Amino acid sequence: MAAVDAETNHETGKLEFSLDVPFPSPREALIALRSLSPDREPRKGGISKELSVSDSTLSVRWSADEARILRVSVNSFLDHLSLVVETMEMFDSSASQ
Amino acid sequence: MDVSYLRQQSGVAAMTVIIGFEGSANKIGIGIIRDGEVLSNPRRTYITPPGQGFMPSDTARHHRAVILTVLKEALEEAGLKPADIDGVAYTKGPGMGAPLVTVALVARTVAQLWGKPLLGVNHCVGHIEMGRLITKANNPTVLYVSGGNTQVIAYSERRYRIFGETIDIAVGNCLDRFARVIKVKSKISNDPSPGYNIEQMAKKGTQYVELPYTVKGMDVSFSGILSYIEEAAHKMLSSDQCTAEDLCFSLQETVFSMLVEITERAMAHCGSQEVLIVGGVGCNLRLQEMMGVMCKERGAKLFATDERFCIDNGAMIAQAGWEMFRSGQVTKLEDSWITQRYRTDEVEVTWRD
Repeated sequence: MAAVDAETNHETGKLEFSLDVPFPSPREALIALRSLSPDREPRKGGISKELSVSDSTLSVRWSADEARILRVSVNSFLDHLSLVVETMEMFDSSASQ
Repeated sequence: MDVSYLRQQSGVAAMTVIIGFEGSANKIGIGIIRDGEVLSNPRRTYITPPGQGFMPSDTARHHRAVILTVLKEALEEAGLKPADIDGVAYTKGPGMGAPLVTVALVARTVAQLWGKPLLGVNHCVGHIEMGRLITKANNPTVLYVSGGNTQVIAYSERRYRIFGETIDIAVGNCLDRFARVIKVKSKISNDPSPGYNIEQMAKKGTQYVELPYTVKGMDVSFSGILSYIEEAAHKMLSSDQCTAEDLCFSLQETVFSMLVEITERAMAHCGSQEVLIVGGVGCNLRLQEMMGVMCKERGAKLFATDERFCIDNGAMIAQAGWEMFRSGQVTKLEDSWITQRYRTDEVEVTWRD
């Protein structure tokens, strides 16, 4: 519990989690941002997720009421991220030319 | 921006190539269409053990594992490079959330990598447009029957209007769930699909077991029939009053009669002389036969396709995407979110008069 408490933002009482993903260039980071942004979180409340790009880094910041909800969202985001990265590696026609 | 897209925009006739991604349920399919010609249409099915249905997260995991291989196959079979493609169509909904997201992610990513517009397709409209393309039916009354949907549809004033539908579960879901509960020597296999295996068993049925017949006006209901037959199955099979084959036969005869009845009523209402059957259950030959009898009596024509195009596939999404693209309907990235609920009549059919 101590670890969870350490991550808790004391003003809002919410759990926060952040992730930085490096990409080869700003182009890939922006493509990932636009592929991963459109779908809303499946549950109505209890969690929010912000995506942004700065240079070649995709940053994600979560804010959640419960660790359980946060884990589900982060897990599925990581699955989605790997699929997008794999797709870029296999099908970027500009990179292979 | 891609040259062929600009040619389209300037109104000069050119061939249009659309790639379509489908994965709203347990099939993942990617198809490529060039002006009505199917260039490739590979597909994989997530098959669960007998007695089990498919859960959203497991299905999404299956799709993630194979989607890039299927995409490679689709391009190679068509003999095309990404530069030859004019637009990327994908299923926006309806369907299971997690599998839909998986497929949309890859579609969005390749659309950006290749610099092509995205086309968010309504899955049901995909079935209708593929059926129209393959059968050349002009303006049919459509019976759309699958594991997730049961609708009678007719086109009017830029919408595919729903004349009748299920008020609870889809007819294919009723068949699938029946297959999960009955045990003969072993449970009914999900390979290639429970419905196909029920169809084969039904051919050996000799005795009709009376079941509830639940047509409610233009709508149908299947959940009560399912509960009834589940209970009847336990009692009658253990006491040898009938065989599992008899139950398969009786269930098919009952639910298909209901579907033929509401289709006929919609035809009478619209003055239609064509019926098109689409969706996974649409490749059931007994359903096609029963619908054929009704059509013959009315002097109408029946159109149906085989399992390649009836069952969910990528080409059907490409075909609906092709129609959208040609009529100028594209989907912005920020509007490309998937939706589990997306009614057939929500789509403005901008490509028909």
